[in-house]
Amino acid sequence: MQQKILEIKNLGKSYGETTALANFSLDLAPGEVLGLLGPNGAGKTTLISILSGTLRDFSGSVAFRGQDLFADRRLKNRIGIVPQEMAFYEDLSALENLLFWGGLYDIPEKELKRRALELLAVVELSTRAREPVKKFSGGMKRRLNVAIGLVHRPELLLLDEPTVGIDVQAKVSILDIIREVGRKGTSVVFTTHQLAEVEQTCSRIAIMDQGKILATGTLAELIRIVGEKEIVEVSGEFSATAFSEAIPAPSGAGIEILSVSDDFAMLAFADSQDIPAMMQRLFAHRLHVADLKIKSPSLEAVFLKMTGRSLRD
Amino acid sequence: MSRTTLIIGNDLRRRLRSPMATILFLVIPLAMTGLIGMIFDPGQDNRTKLPPIHLLVVDNDKDIAAKFLLGAFDQKELKEMFQVTLVDAPAGEKLMQKGKASAMLVIPEHFSADLADQKPSRLEVVKNPSEEFLPGVAEEFAATMAVGFSALAQVFADELRIIRGFRSLTLESVTIAEMTPFLEMARAKIIALKTYLSPMLLKVKSVTTKKPGQEGKPLGFNIFSYIFPGMLIMFLLFIIEPSLREIQNERADGKTRRMMFSPLSSLELVTARIFSGWLIGFLVCLLAMAAGMLLFGIDWGRPLLQLALFAIACFWCSAFFAMLNAFFRNKNQAGAFASPIILVFSAFGGSMLPLEQLPAGMRWVGKLTVNNWFITGCRRIMDGASPLLPLTLLAVTGLAFAAVAMIALPRRLSV
Ligand SMILES: Nc1ncnc2c1ncn2[C@@H]1O[C@H](COP(=O)(O)OP(=O)(O)OP(=O)(O)O)[C@@H](O)[C@H]1O
Ligand SMILES: [Mg+2]
Repeated sequence: MQQKILEIKNLGKSYGETTALANFSLDLAPGEVLGLLGPNGAGKTTLISILSGTLRDFSGSVAFRGQDLFADRRLKNRIGIVPQEMAFYEDLSALENLLFWGGLYDIPEKELKRRALELLAVVELSTRAREPVKKFSGGMKRRLNVAIGLVHRPELLLLDEPTVGIDVQAKVSILDIIREVGRKGTSVVFTTHQLAEVEQTCSRIAIMDQGKILATGTLAELIRIVGEKEIVEVSGEFSATAFSEAIPAPSGAGIEILSVSDDFAMLAFADSQDIPAMMQRLFAHRLHVADLKIKSPSLEAVFLKMTGRSLRD
Repeated sequence: MSRTTLIIGNDLRRRLRSPMATILFLVIPLAMTGLIGMIFDPGQDNRTKLPPIHLLVVDNDKDIAAKFLLGAFDQKELKEMFQVTLVDAPAGEKLMQKGKASAMLVIPEHFSADLADQKPSRLEVVKNPSEEFLPGVAEEFAATMAVGFSALAQVFADELRIIRGFRSLTLESVTIAEMTPFLEMARAKIIALKTYLSPMLLKVKSVTTKKPGQEGKPLGFNIFSYIFPGMLIMFLLFIIEPSLREIQNERADGKTRRMMFSPLSSLELVTARIFSGWLIGFLVCLLAMAAGMLLFGIDWGRPLLQLALFAIACFWCSAFFAMLNAFFRNKNQAGAFASPIILVFSAFGGSMLPLEQLPAGMRWVGKLTVNNWFITGCRRIMDGASPLLPLTLLAVTGLAFAAVAMIALPRRLSV
């Protein structure tokens, strides 16, 4: 069996009363790109902080290629971290930033310079390499943020919400970079609350909430959790309570309400022939339905089933 | 390249890239020094003379020593320096209250008699509180006169006692013949004491001018070299502080965390930051030294020693702010406290007004400030005296602060 690049066992971390991580365990194989999905406050940043060595006072253990990750400072040379915030010098250029941040690692200067230029091409910033970063757009800054995490050629790359707050185009290019990095053999863990990102990018997915892993597997494996069902999304003008009254759950008739909020609900049907019956009940209760979509099971449905919470905050 | 030098280099590069703040902090003290100096009428060359100091003299003695003292003010060089008006006590007090003179010298009753009897006597200097330098000069001048007079009184004790016998007489009625034996005695003593007296008499000059006695040079007083060191240390504090505050900024915006991802240790980071503060301060000192010489004709004394003082003072500032930042909770606290601390140091330490002008009760506060140590060190080197005490104070406290910073600050950096 191939040696795991990362073995996280029973991590626990609390801030006073708040438990950020509890009995968190996760493995990562070399070359794997793992998407860590979790709603706000799930403990994603806490996990990344522990792995990056900036958060102490936790319980449990982390092994990097079989070695205690925190025993040897030099192991840090083999891990790259992209923080949630854009932490770099706005008054310096992209190239200067790469050379500075890379210089903190043990790489020869020449190699560093070559790597920096190469990375600028990868993140499509070559033409703007010598401009002060403060002139960059949000998406360009995000790309630089990722590049800085890669400059010392890490074997493992951890990214904390690398696509937060940027437009679709920039998001796509960051995901491309992550996929490309994974293809070249670097293991990747990235956190997000964007389901689509995970679906498109990852070889494996972990769903976490309240400091725990709820499920892991490939997209197909996770979808099997929901079962061979039809997912129905209903939107219109109704309140969550009125909707729940109209469709008592679980009805035993193979209808499951995955989520319901004002004006939107998601249900799972074991048999699509039950859908018209549901519609009739909604009309009988005088609920106004504007739109109805029938889909095959998605990660979103899995997530809703596991956490009972929507990811969209 | 080590990680420490990488960070120092990066800090310096960033400071130089947006140099406005630093340049401003160099230009402001130069401008202020120039402005204050200008008020005192710049001389033909760079060396500036003080304006005549308006001095009131109340002569309660009206005897020979008082006449001698008043005569001294009539000498060519002192005449340029002091504009003396003889007044009686009530008139003098009224003029002083109206701020019409820089200082008032009160010659006590029995001044001549007491001197002749070797009894302690006291010259009183009343200073105008609204003026900064001139009353100080008058005071120092009087103090010097007092030293000179007591020395003279001791040496010429015999002659004075005899002269006392002539007190009832007016000087005009004393014939040279009558005086001859005493003059002869005095002459012999003067010859014998010449070697001892001359350095002391020279000292009058050195104190009044704040310069080592330089024969042949006009009695000059470079007001700029009096003001500039105080300005320099105040602005050094302002220049160095942001380098250390950067620790708080980077902690807030995630850069510190990102640095900690790498094999960099927090101790390396603290060391680097202390040195980048030092470096920027020292570079400014080099510019300030050159600017002081070129613009104001300041003679720094022994330049290498002066540079050593600058280097140690910059280290002190850097270590001090590193330590403070170990105790500040966040960048807002650092921002809120740093400037008031600098201003208090400067107000009490002699950067804004000479320490001697502070109320006596506050002077000891000033003596505990980096400003005072720096100014004292600077002046001593200019005057050719030993700056060992201020240098030691700066070095020892600076090292202590650095040690505290290196222990306490790394704890702030993790998390
Ligand atoms: N410094 C802290 N002090 C106290 N509580 C904290 C601290 N940092 C995180 N927490 C708490 O720990 C829990 C996990 O937070 P964490 O930042 O890891 O979540 P997250 O999954 O990254 O959320 P988000 O998606 O919003 O970034 C939350 O309940 C949070 O309030
Ligand atoms: Mg987070």
